[in-house]
Amino acid sequence: MAGSLLKFENVGKVYPDGTRAVSQFTLDIHQGEFVVLIGPSGCGKTTTLRMVNRLIEPSSGTILLDGQDFRQVRPVELRRRLGYVIQRIGLMPHLSIADNITFVPKLKKVSQKARRSRAYELLELVGLEPSAYMDRYPNELSGGQQQRIGVLRALAHDPDIILMDEPFGALDPLMREQLQEEVKRLQRAVSKTIIFVTHDMDEALTMADRIVLMREGEIVQVGTPEEMLRRPKDAFVTQFIGRHRMLRQASEVTVDEVMLTHPVTVPADLGLARSLDAMRRRRVDSLLVVQRDGSFCGVVRLPLVQDAMNLGRECGVGELAETCKTLCPQDLVLEAMHIMLEGQPSGVPVVDESAHVVGLVTRGTLVGLLGDALKRAHEAESPSTETADQWA
Amino acid sequence: MVLIQHTWQFFLSHSHQVVKATLQQLYLVGIPMGLAVIVAIPLTILSTRVKALYGPVIWFANAMQTIPSLALLALMIAMGMGIGTVPAVVALFLYALMPIVRNTYVGIQGVDEGVKDAARGMGVTTWQLLLIVELPLALRVIIAGVRSALVATVGFATLAALIGAGGLGNLIMEGMGMASNSIVLAGTIPAIILAFLADGVMGRVEKALTPRGLRV
Ligand SMILES: Nc1ncnc2c1ncn2[C@@H]1O[C@H](COP(=O)(O)OP(=O)(O)OP(=O)(O)O)[C@@H](O)[C@H]1O
Ligand SMILES: [Mg+2]
Repeated sequence: MAGSLLKFENVGKVYPDGTRAVSQFTLDIHQGEFVVLIGPSGCGKTTTLRMVNRLIEPSSGTILLDGQDFRQVRPVELRRRLGYVIQRIGLMPHLSIADNITFVPKLKKVSQKARRSRAYELLELVGLEPSAYMDRYPNELSGGQQQRIGVLRALAHDPDIILMDEPFGALDPLMREQLQEEVKRLQRAVSKTIIFVTHDMDEALTMADRIVLMREGEIVQVGTPEEMLRRPKDAFVTQFIGRHRMLRQASEVTVDEVMLTHPVTVPADLGLARSLDAMRRRRVDSLLVVQRDGSFCGVVRLPLVQDAMNLGRECGVGELAETCKTLCPQDLVLEAMHIMLEGQPSGVPVVDESAHVVGLVTRGTLVGLLGDALKRAHEAESPSTETADQWA
Repeated sequence: MVLIQHTWQFFLSHSHQVVKATLQQLYLVGIPMGLAVIVAIPLTILSTRVKALYGPVIWFANAMQTIPSLALLALMIAMGMGIGTVPAVVALFLYALMPIVRNTYVGIQGVDEGVKDAARGMGVTTWQLLLIVELPLALRVIIAGVRSALVATVGFATLAALIGAGGLGNLIMEGMGMASNSIVLAGTIPAIILAFLADGVMGRVEKALTPRGLRV
């Protein structure tokens, strides 16, 4: 089939109270695609999703389903052509599992016999023993099992498009991962088009063919997980991708993203013996010395303190502190490397505008950064073999 | 002992009168309850859709139950309905509305939003949402409302004799007039049995109508 299965054209939604939830949303979704809508809370993901099945009517723009304006289809008909999975699961507590799975076929007046065999088939598909589950009730199932049924329910009438709104948001991490794999597997097996809402970037990166990142009702960037990681469009995207940032070149990483945030500091008037003790206990060979008001005044190194002790000097550790180069949180990590290569190898303190110590960059930090980057790069290059094995 | 014997004798010798009073009593309970169910449930369901309606409906039902029962009966007469069965039935009907209205509303409003959202998202019509989702899930609460209305009505119905509607209350008043405890008991015992019976039957109905998935 040529063209797109689902096409958003300048879709916008303003709620009656004036909230502009979605604006100028334009997107083409192709048959078989797994599209993930992601963004901070309140950015309009749910609103966008619910406009597809007309649980919410757009205030502007159109959505084309298979090239046809979706408003030409009655909402009830439209919804029976789509699948819908929500975070709250929403199984019918008074219906058996079999009846829950085949809720839409029942609305479509499919015979009881055909519905049971469909439920049987679907339960088998996710490895739930049909004879054990068919006639049970939702309250006899665990949360994870219930959401499995929620997913099957969205497949029962064989819809082309399935809408999922944070379907695994309420599940524990283990269950969530299992279901993610299962849904991905099902999607490949039955080649459905899925629009999936989440605010978990991990989830988006694992599941998506394409990620749509939204902010305040607008699309910020659309791209494959790979593109999002490699070429985030702006600082917002970068920040949203968060800990996956390591794929970026080191030249773009700033100090505050990698620094140790709670370096050991001591007040300038601390006695030498106690300073020595502090170093021993923390297993460090230097300390950051700060004034009473918290502002940074220098670094004191272990040999200096030991020498002074041997000479029997009585003074505060501040008198032994040496000045050194410091960084601001927004400086690039590259800067830190320069400083360390140019004769300050033990580390670079990070101070804010008011000269307070907020962190420390050490050799260890930089090695960690490098390691992460290598690992991520490696993962990103070989996902196909990994998944192929998994689904074989 | 003697009292029981006398009561028993009265039962035997006046069985016709006792049976008639009991049947009247059933009538005095059955008709107002039937009407209350027929009127209150649909009206309340409607007011879960048209929210503006709920305020007046619950206000009215509440007011009817707040008026002391005797005063409510007297009010019927004052409003020109005279005495007899009709004003009693009307008063009992008004009195029974409140628990049914309240429970129907609470039951339907209490259906989990997630369940309703899922159902809508799967394409149920407004009617289907009511018939295959909301009502089955609210049924237990609605029945509980009918049950408490019924028990209250059975009690109130014995007072209906005061405005000449007959029933077991009639026997009780007659017995009190004649200072005959045995006649009073002949009216009281069936009234008590009826009340327990009504409660027991409704309990059964409640159980039977609770879908398996909702039983605890
Ligand atoms: N019925 C409504 N009436 C008015 N404003 C609404 C309504 N529903 C949502 N909003 C507002 O519209 C904006 C988008 O909401 P939406 O539910 O689409 O966000 P979301 O991206 O799904 O957020 P979350 O991740 O928290 O689920 C929010 O500012 C929200 O407060
Ligand atoms: Mg949402």
